[in-house]
Amino acid sequence: MRTKSGRGDVLLVCMVLFLVVFGLAVLYSTGSYNGSVRFGDAFYYMKKQFFAAALGMLAMYLISCMDYHIFEKYAIAAYLISLALSTLVLFAGNAYNGSRRWLSLGPLSFQPSEFAKLAVILFLARMVGRQKKKRNSFLNLVFVIALVLPIVALVGTNNLSTAIIILGIAVIVVFVSDKRYMQFVWIAAAGAGMMALFLGMESYRLERIAIWKNPEAYEKGYQTIQGLYAIGSGGLFGRGFGESIQKLGFVPEAQNDMIFSIICEELGFVGATILMLVFLVLIWRFMVIAVHAPDLFGSLIAAGAMGHIAIQVILNVAVVTNTIPNTGITLPFISYGGTSVLFLLSEMGLVLAVSRWQSEKKCI
Amino acid sequence: MFVKIKTFHRKKIVAVFALCMAAMLFLIGRLGYLMLLRADYYSEKAQDLHERERSIKAARGKILDCNGKVLADNKTVCTISVIHSQIKEPEKVIDVLTEELGMERDQVKKRVEKNSSIERIKTNVDKQTGDKIREYDLAGVKVDEDYKRNYPYGNLASKVLGFTGSDNQGIVGLEVKYESILKGTDGQILTMTDARGVELSDTGEGRKEPVSGKNLILSLDANLQEYAQQAAYQALEQKQADSVSIILMRPGNGEILAMVNVPEYDLNDPFNLKKSTNGMSQQEIQDERNKMWRNGCINDTYEPGSTFKIITASAALEEGVVTPEDTFSCPGFRIVDDRRIRCHKTTGHGSETFVQGVMNSCNPVFIEVGQRLGTDAFYRYFQQFGLLEKTGIDLPGEAGTIMHQKKDIGPVELATISFGQSFQITPIRLAATVCSLINGGHQITPHFGVEVREDDGTLLETLSYKEGKQIVSEQVSKTMRAILEKVVSEGGGKKAYIEGYHIGGKTATSETLPRSANKYISSFLGFVPAEDPRILGICIINNPQGVYYGGTICAPVMRTVFENILPYLGIEKEAAQETDAVRIMDQVEHLLSAE
Repeated sequence: MRTKSGRGDVLLVCMVLFLVVFGLAVLYSTGSYNGSVRFGDAFYYMKKQFFAAALGMLAMYLISCMDYHIFEKYAIAAYLISLALSTLVLFAGNAYNGSRRWLSLGPLSFQPSEFAKLAVILFLARMVGRQKKKRNSFLNLVFVIALVLPIVALVGTNNLSTAIIILGIAVIVVFVSDKRYMQFVWIAAAGAGMMALFLGMESYRLERIAIWKNPEAYEKGYQTIQGLYAIGSGGLFGRGFGESIQKLGFVPEAQNDMIFSIICEELGFVGATILMLVFLVLIWRFMVIAVHAPDLFGSLIAAGAMGHIAIQVILNVAVVTNTIPNTGITLPFISYGGTSVLFLLSEMGLVLAVSRWQSEKKCI
Repeated sequence: MFVKIKTFHRKKIVAVFALCMAAMLFLIGRLGYLMLLRADYYSEKAQDLHERERSIKAARGKILDCNGKVLADNKTVCTISVIHSQIKEPEKVIDVLTEELGMERDQVKKRVEKNSSIERIKTNVDKQTGDKIREYDLAGVKVDEDYKRNYPYGNLASKVLGFTGSDNQGIVGLEVKYESILKGTDGQILTMTDARGVELSDTGEGRKEPVSGKNLILSLDANLQEYAQQAAYQALEQKQADSVSIILMRPGNGEILAMVNVPEYDLNDPFNLKKSTNGMSQQEIQDERNKMWRNGCINDTYEPGSTFKIITASAALEEGVVTPEDTFSCPGFRIVDDRRIRCHKTTGHGSETFVQGVMNSCNPVFIEVGQRLGTDAFYRYFQQFGLLEKTGIDLPGEAGTIMHQKKDIGPVELATISFGQSFQITPIRLAATVCSLINGGHQITPHFGVEVREDDGTLLETLSYKEGKQIVSEQVSKTMRAILEKVVSEGGGKKAYIEGYHIGGKTATSETLPRSANKYISSFLGFVPAEDPRILGICIINNPQGVYYGGTICAPVMRTVFENILPYLGIEKEAAQETDAVRIMDQVEHLLSAE
């Protein structure tokens, strides 16, 4: 039953390579202005990203060659390490733009929350994939969610968006592992209620909602408005690669969360749609790999990765298009962030490793 | 060891994927809405945000005299500035600018080395120097062209033309009155900038060309203005007067050919008071300047004195309360109420006709004529002759008439008004009314502006003015012309007489207020040819020293002007005999018509 096919998923590799190369090109285009203004080097962001991506490709290749089952042994350890690093960053982290999210080691800096996402996927796959007793009770769900709450709380203190992503991955893994549907509807309802309560507690969060509804009326709606200007300027085919004007200081930190708006401006509706479709193909491959995985552990890794990428892409694009209130979520493979790219590519390596162990039974 | 994957797991994975796919397709739809349906809205907003407008100044329209001589045009001047971040050879830039601009090296060096986005080195640099600097093609050195108003004749008609301010906007005179015609529309260069406002070099420039202002053609004749100005300056010096004003205009249509107010000022340097301003406050300096720029013919009022008798006479003739042949008696004074109002000839003119009374400028005659008219009729003629309104001349700041309220006019006021005292009007008001009274009786509006043309000469607009209303009958007008000709040929205006011309006119001498200051304003108003006036001139000398009688000092000035300009205007001398023949013919005609 567990047969090693020897070959990873070629289409997935292609999509990942495309995204990495495309991401570097877009990052160069978007970050060249801010890079030359701030650091006197148009290639500043692109170079740093390039090294992270190169390292990530190497990691992806190595991991994809391995038998993913050996990671089961280290899953708990990885989770504990991520807890430790997330704690450490609270005390010894470097602040950038007002949030302590980075650990520095000489010239290298590292964002523990990015590692935490991968660790949580592995950890949950290990915990749920191991359960032999049938515990299809509500308690089981609560138990699994409770397992990730420490990391959600730790990351959430200074990076709410990533905490939400981690929680989302956990919910998806639990959802996949459980037979029932209805109780998830209740969970969703409860989550919505909690969210409302959470927003109501602090007035500044409600202000975010007001800005979302009418960004032009608020000073804090500046980033959103500038993003919309960029998107709206794109039209069908865009201004052309490298021709964005909104990236010239109008969209703040264009190389980070708002990079998708610049893609829209330069490549137009056609380019943006193609990128969205590439992401869709990517998560479709995750689904195929998850469905064909030989065991629940492998399947849940692929499903977790699918949830991870899908949540980030959907939330990022939703924020940039002002479909939901503004929250800082990066676009996978494209937004600037070395740690993010490194661990994303490692995650891809893990999924590729799973894809080499396909079950004979092909239902989809 | 590892749990097997079950069917429900697969179903759930597919369900998650389906959910994600739905969300992503929804977002693609949302993108389509924003990028296709809302594209116009957002891209327009973005465009507004990115574009910076830099205006290109429009050239101001020229002001030309009736012969096409340019009275006001534009000079191209350059502004030299440096953009610090674009300078590649600072030493060379400093050397070139120091040499070409003739500035201190240290001063240039300081500005070139100053770390600012753009630093102005020098403004108002003439175009030649600007072009030369541009030819060096130095990186970081900018030569911007700009227009500066230029007045080729310097002080000629300065108080009429006016000048412009730093923004090329009219400040006084015709420059401000015709601002909308002369101004033109500034153009724009649209450039794209980044968020810091730095222009992007590789984006295409949108350009909206400036539209030059239109040229204004005046009735003013630079030659006549020059003659008149010379004569005025001469009189100013000879009589040590405060100021001398001369107006030359066409009685038929109100076109002004010359308007001199000496001392004039230099239009190319209008803020220079030409005297020390030490110890003067800013306000005092500004007051002095306003005084220097003032157009006495329009902005100031005075007691017209005897020239006003033209109006009293016309009103009385029109009303029929007097005929030229009526006889009066002047004992040298006249008692009105309890006052004894003297005639200038204290021994009296004795018995005289009305015509002789005008020739003698006899006050008692006019007091009686005024009494015959009465307050009501006199006031009615004031209104009819437009004396209570402004003339509507196309210059800013025309002063209104200062006149008694009708209810306040008692016998004394009526008497003094009759010979032009106790109220004030502007010289242009007097000239305009007299024009109407002698041109056959129709109202005119004194004016300078005649036509608006493109620079290539295409006629755009012929300016029109209120005129044509009959304010006095043609017969009275004709009588007045005849009487006033006698004033010059035989009466008080003799010094304006030129052999071979029929000149009509009236002199005046009035004492300014307060009377105790013993300051006088002397004037003479004349027109040629008396039968069919083609030009009317008025000369006013303000505070002359020594002899101050209008007939003695102003009439000769006007004669000099007329002598010079009449041939130029094509008004030919008539042979003496012919003149007499015409006069005899006139008299015969007159007798015939009387019968």
